[in-house]
Amino acid sequence: MEFEHWSVQSKSNTVSTRLHCRVAPLWAQSVSGLSKDMLPGPYPKTPEEWAAAAAANKYNMRVEDYEPYPDKDMGYGDYPKLPNRSQHVYRSLPLHWDFDPYLWTQVNNSLTTFFAFLGFMVFMFFIGYLYPSYQPWGQSSILTMTSIWEQGGNPNKKPPKVKHYEI
Amino acid sequence: MIETQWITPINTMMLASISILLYPLMADTLFKTSMKMQARTAVKYAFFSTLATLIMFINLGMEINTTHINLISSTNFNVGLSFKFDYFTLMFCPTALFVTWSIMDFAKWYMAHDQEVNKFFKYLLIFLLAMLTLVSSNNLFQLFIGWEGVGIMSFLLIGWWRTRGEANTASMQAIIYNRLGDIGFILTLAWTGTNVASWELDQLFMLKPFDTLPLLALVLAAAAKSAQFGMHPWLLGAMEGPTPVSALLHSSTMVVAGIFLLIRLHPMMEDNELTRTTCLLLGAISTFMTAMCALTQNDIKKIIALSTASQLGLMMTTIGLNQPNLAFLHMCLHAFFKSKLFICSGIISHNLSNEQDIRKMGGIHKTMPITSSCFTIGNLALAGIPFMTGFYSKDAIIETMNSSTLNLGALLLTMAATVMTAAYTTRLIFLVQTGPPRHYPMQKITEDKTLSNAILRLSLGSIAIGPISAMTLDQTQTLPTTVTTLIKLSALGATMMGIFVSLIFIHKNKQNRPQKNNLSTFSNMLTFYSSLTHRSPTTHLLKKAQKVSTTLNDATWYEYSVPKFFSKTQLKMSKALSFLAQGKVKTYLAVFTMSLMTLIILTT
Repeated sequence: MEFEHWSVQSKSNTVSTRLHCRVAPLWAQSVSGLSKDMLPGPYPKTPEEWAAAAAANKYNMRVEDYEPYPDKDMGYGDYPKLPNRSQHVYRSLPLHWDFDPYLWTQVNNSLTTFFAFLGFMVFMFFIGYLYPSYQPWGQSSILTMTSIWEQGGNPNKKPPKVKHYEI
Repeated sequence: MIETQWITPINTMMLASISILLYPLMADTLFKTSMKMQARTAVKYAFFSTLATLIMFINLGMEINTTHINLISSTNFNVGLSFKFDYFTLMFCPTALFVTWSIMDFAKWYMAHDQEVNKFFKYLLIFLLAMLTLVSSNNLFQLFIGWEGVGIMSFLLIGWWRTRGEANTASMQAIIYNRLGDIGFILTLAWTGTNVASWELDQLFMLKPFDTLPLLALVLAAAAKSAQFGMHPWLLGAMEGPTPVSALLHSSTMVVAGIFLLIRLHPMMEDNELTRTTCLLLGAISTFMTAMCALTQNDIKKIIALSTASQLGLMMTTIGLNQPNLAFLHMCLHAFFKSKLFICSGIISHNLSNEQDIRKMGGIHKTMPITSSCFTIGNLALAGIPFMTGFYSKDAIIETMNSSTLNLGALLLTMAATVMTAAYTTRLIFLVQTGPPRHYPMQKITEDKTLSNAILRLSLGSIAIGPISAMTLDQTQTLPTTVTTLIKLSALGATMMGIFVSLIFIHKNKQNRPQKNNLSTFSNMLTFYSSLTHRSPTTHLLKKAQKVSTTLNDATWYEYSVPKFFSKTQLKMSKALSFLAQGKVKTYLAVFTMSLMTLIILTT
């Protein structure tokens, strides 16, 4: 009985080409398409291991940019310490002369400006609390009990009966 | 057991109107007919039915009609279905149904090539039912059912094009922000359930003065739903959904649910100064910030979304002024012109091959005359030009602000927002409609008759509803009758100033090349709020959590506490005692001598 033994050896040794080519026999069942040397390994101790980890077939980084996590038994191995920001946003890159800045929105943020804006709002509300806006109040036109006494009247006195007709 | 009080024509007709909307949802399954026409027809008939009830209410002057059906009754706590058909409900229902009728006409055209168009219309109808449940409920529990219903439908409709990553992100953002607000609502439910033992609004209104905690929780719920400052990013992301969704949910109905909640529960708030001040200041900062951001946006839908947020801030400010009726009037009038603006923007962008950048539009007043006319009317109404619909409510609000005793900062921010509103509406009119066409030349531009009827209906509403509503406003408080000329003309002056300044800048920009400016970037990036709050705090929190987990759980518990600790101590001990096993006689003699001396000392 013959087994079909399809295995393709890629000419280039990069991760991307090796991922797309079958490097194991057809009947071999693997969990992922990655071979053992593509997976993260132990902390690199020698310069050769350092360069191999940074190389294009492992993490595809330059040796100068490659920096693993410190070897403190945290289980990171030789996985690179990538900067703590998303890879999915457009950020400030050197722009081409013909690049139209009005087509693409670049991610900018400035904590100082935001807090300055909030501070301005709080300042406005504080000034508004000290100096509220109101309409000026005039003298009341409704006679009060006090003003009747002051004018010599007597609020308890009944008004005189007015006769509107004469018979 | 059904307990009924006052089965009146208004009661019956309102319940029948709500039931009319259930028919298309069931008929599609039973009869396999097209959902589009059924939904539109049902909404149209429901509108006429609710309009009849509104006219009856205005003529007969009946204040409240409620129907109570007990669902759960215990010794001291009853929960049931109860409907309140008062001025607010009877005014809002025909407004929402009229707007939905026009939007469904537009959606029939906009979503014509969508494969799941029946499902889309069903979602719109379910949303409408949830909204009507919200506005007609007489207890907090039923209101919460409607509240959650509109939130869920918003999530489903924003993420309609589910293969788009941005749409999925936007819908998640919307539901998470709404959920943060629901914390406030649930807190109020818990507080009232514990302290008042009732969720009926009539019983809650009898309890005065009300505690501050549940009221502030209600303000949080309203702030999240109505996209106030701090909870506003979801409204801009919601523009990822189809334009009919933006027109219905995110301009006229769902986003005003928060404001409606505060209007409905205003009797609880009117004596609490802290709550009213919170509403005033939150509304002022929201209206100013969103108006400032709308000045520098270039996406037509984003500009209209920010204008919606600005008007919602104005409504919140009005509630802070203790004028819920005025806020409600602005809410209803705003629905007409804002939904019309969204529909017009959808027609324009759909005709220009989904181009939403206003810098790439222009010259459409010749190719789309009806759409551009209606767009202009909507913008003028939004700016508060005299005798358009927006003027009646906006002018009244600004007059009331100027003649009230309030925080000067809030007043100045609101006036500045009015100026900016006029400025960005002018910019929108000029850049979208006038000038040479800046879009791709070979475009098939159509103005369907049904579409034109939809926006013309809303245009009629944008012009005529203002004076009609102002005449029929529920006069519960004495309106200010004596204001000085300066106060009377302040709103008009602010609007004119905004228009003139905008015209000057539009004219100048034609000559000068746009330059990068820090203030412009700050406004365009929406005050950096999203980029500062969405990424950094969550990333740092997750990283700290990961560090705590790996350090505490993995490293400390699994390694250092037992296995490595034991191995280290054992190693130290064995290294220390290894000299005993080296086979040296002097070691054995030393051990023997020391143990003998120890024994002698212990025994003596």
